[in-house]
Amino acid sequence: MKSLNIKKFAIIAILLGMVGFAFAPATDRITVKGSDTLVILAQKWAEVYMKSNPNTAIQVTGGGSGVGIAALINGSTDIANASRKMKPSEKDKLKARYNTLGVEVACAKDGITVYLHPSNKVKELSVKQLGEIFKGNIKNWKEVGGADAAIKLYGRENSSGTYVFFQEHVVKGDYAPSCQTLPGTAAVVNAVKKDPNAIGYGGAAYAEGIEICKVKKDENSPAYIASTETIKNNQYPITRYLFMYLKNKPTGALKSYIDWILSPEGQKLVVEAGYFPIR
Amino acid sequence: MKRLSLITLMLISAMFYKVNAQETTTTEKLTEVNDKINGLTERLATAESDLSKLTKIKVSGYIQAQYQYFENPSIQPNNYFSLRRARVKFTYEMTDGVKFVLTPEFVPGNLSVKDAYVVINDRWTKAFSIWAGKFNRPNYEVEYSSSSRELAERSTVIRTLYPGERAIGAKLEYNPVNVPFHFQLALLNGADGIMIYNASGTNLNTTENKDFDNYKDIMVRATYNLQLGNFGGLDFGAHGYFGSLKSNAQKTLSSDYSTIEDVQFGDAVKRNWVGGEFQLFADILGGLSVKGEYIAGKNASIGYSPVAAVGTTAAIPGVANFRNNFAGYYLYFIKNLGKKNQFAFRYDYYDPNTDITGKDVTIAKYTSADATTLKNRVSGKSDLAISTFGFALHHYFDDNLRISLNYDIVQNEKVGSAGLLTEDYTKADGTKVLKGLDYSNVISQNLLTLRIQAKF
Repeated sequence: MKSLNIKKFAIIAILLGMVGFAFAPATDRITVKGSDTLVILAQKWAEVYMKSNPNTAIQVTGGGSGVGIAALINGSTDIANASRKMKPSEKDKLKARYNTLGVEVACAKDGITVYLHPSNKVKELSVKQLGEIFKGNIKNWKEVGGADAAIKLYGRENSSGTYVFFQEHVVKGDYAPSCQTLPGTAAVVNAVKKDPNAIGYGGAAYAEGIEICKVKKDENSPAYIASTETIKNNQYPITRYLFMYLKNKPTGALKSYIDWILSPEGQKLVVEAGYFPIR
Repeated sequence: MKRLSLITLMLISAMFYKVNAQETTTTEKLTEVNDKINGLTERLATAESDLSKLTKIKVSGYIQAQYQYFENPSIQPNNYFSLRRARVKFTYEMTDGVKFVLTPEFVPGNLSVKDAYVVINDRWTKAFSIWAGKFNRPNYEVEYSSSSRELAERSTVIRTLYPGERAIGAKLEYNPVNVPFHFQLALLNGADGIMIYNASGTNLNTTENKDFDNYKDIMVRATYNLQLGNFGGLDFGAHGYFGSLKSNAQKTLSSDYSTIEDVQFGDAVKRNWVGGEFQLFADILGGLSVKGEYIAGKNASIGYSPVAAVGTTAAIPGVANFRNNFAGYYLYFIKNLGKKNQFAFRYDYYDPNTDITGKDVTIAKYTSADATTLKNRVSGKSDLAISTFGFALHHYFDDNLRISLNYDIVQNEKVGSAGLLTEDYTKADGTKVLKGLDYSNVISQNLLTLRIQAKF
């Protein structure tokens, strides 16, 4: 093979490849993956949006914030739902693969709710007490004014954004080894429903059939439950934004869908699903 | 009637007995099922506990198989298949604060350890971490994973300054939680991957797990990530290298070949350089980036003169230590083409000796009478600058599989005169030297690489 031919071959192949691949057709199929906290709301959004936009197909799955962001990086989803911010290491992967920093869209607010069994005498806890409980330093309900019974801890798996957010803002350390991890907020709620000595945490939208624990910022503060008012007034101490992450600035059908989610119509569904609007 | 009543009573009794018996059976069954569930729950808890230990071990890795065609006539065979990299990375996170990493490489004929280090994170501020072991030197292109890199190999200046990329030592990292600033300070053996020859051409620096000398090298790198709104982001920073190698000769030659300094065996031959870097990420037309780095300073190579060499021979790099002023840079342009494809272009330039230009170099026999100055006599092709235009196109079948076509157009700095290199000649001591490549022209060194990468 002559060197000239190799050079021509390489340059032509690279240029042809550029031209050929630069015009990949856009599609109206949108995939959404990630946060289990957001999955109910995301499904509701998709369902309502598809009714008025029949040409757009939206597929929604959960799996956890980490799973959604990993799917965004490996190209298997268009939107990654996350109940936490993207980590620097995840941003680096996105940079390496797509040469962008990603686009962060805050789409709702959530108050992380602490679930108790309705029979539990304890009705309110401070953030510090919650941290000590989930670290395993407080082991018995009587230490926080409850019955003489061992505390049973239920939480999320480490791929969950809720797990990470609760760890960073409440636990501030390692979870107790006795904290049983469950695959989804619904599973945490179910476990707490069945166990009088249980405590768990998760999104506000799932809190049905259990007692919602009021949370105090510190010992001297009043205790609140998560509500539109307490979250808007920054009174409820464990609030967070829920995010959608995209690889690039959205265009076409994806942009229309995001714009609709942020519109009053989309934000109305946020409230209906048990979350809180961003404005 | 009495008989009928008796029969009815007996039947009712029998039914009552049966129901009672059934209730007893159901209770027993329930107890049995309950016991079984309790047993399964216990077994599940044990299994979960065992499994949670396993989830602390993460295994990842990649294989790069490639076909290469070399246009350089001096490379034989000029085309072949090879395995460029075959690595498995084991990461064990014992607790949130401690991580062990081990990366063996399994290239045919060579099993080596690429990474072997422990990272201890500070549990209080979560900003500091200490690294110890064998890890990447702090530099952008070095730390950028080979499995993600857009061109087949790192740029020439980086490959020259950081052979093998890794070094053994300890490192302090500072990554404040809410500030996009990153700082690394490393103390390294410093001789990792560097060839230090004796008079018979044997590499003396073969103890990969120890230092070659008592001098430790310092590396520092600081970067900042700036958000540019909807446009994208700009990462920028600088790094520096401050180190020494032990002299194994009694002369050190200056970069411009003008002075020969007397030194002692074991003296420090200093190597210092600094560099500035940037990476611009723009969310334009599906994403593009421009990345660059410029590095300049003084490098050193170690000579082998067993005695205080005299005369012309003393001033030959290799015999004497040599401290060369160098400069090099690279500039990438990377553009995503849809979700599955990527185009990359890189221009990289490396001048190993900024004090010598091509016209100063007469690649000829060292003792040639026609070499009138010291500079003419001892400078050589290792002083010539190299520039490379690299083009690459990648297709990602999925996250695990990537195929890449890479073409490098390599151009050397031309020498003023080819000397006698274009014909065989005999040195003054009678040694015959075969003719070499004619560096008064551009030597054909272009390279085509077709590579497939499987990652898991």
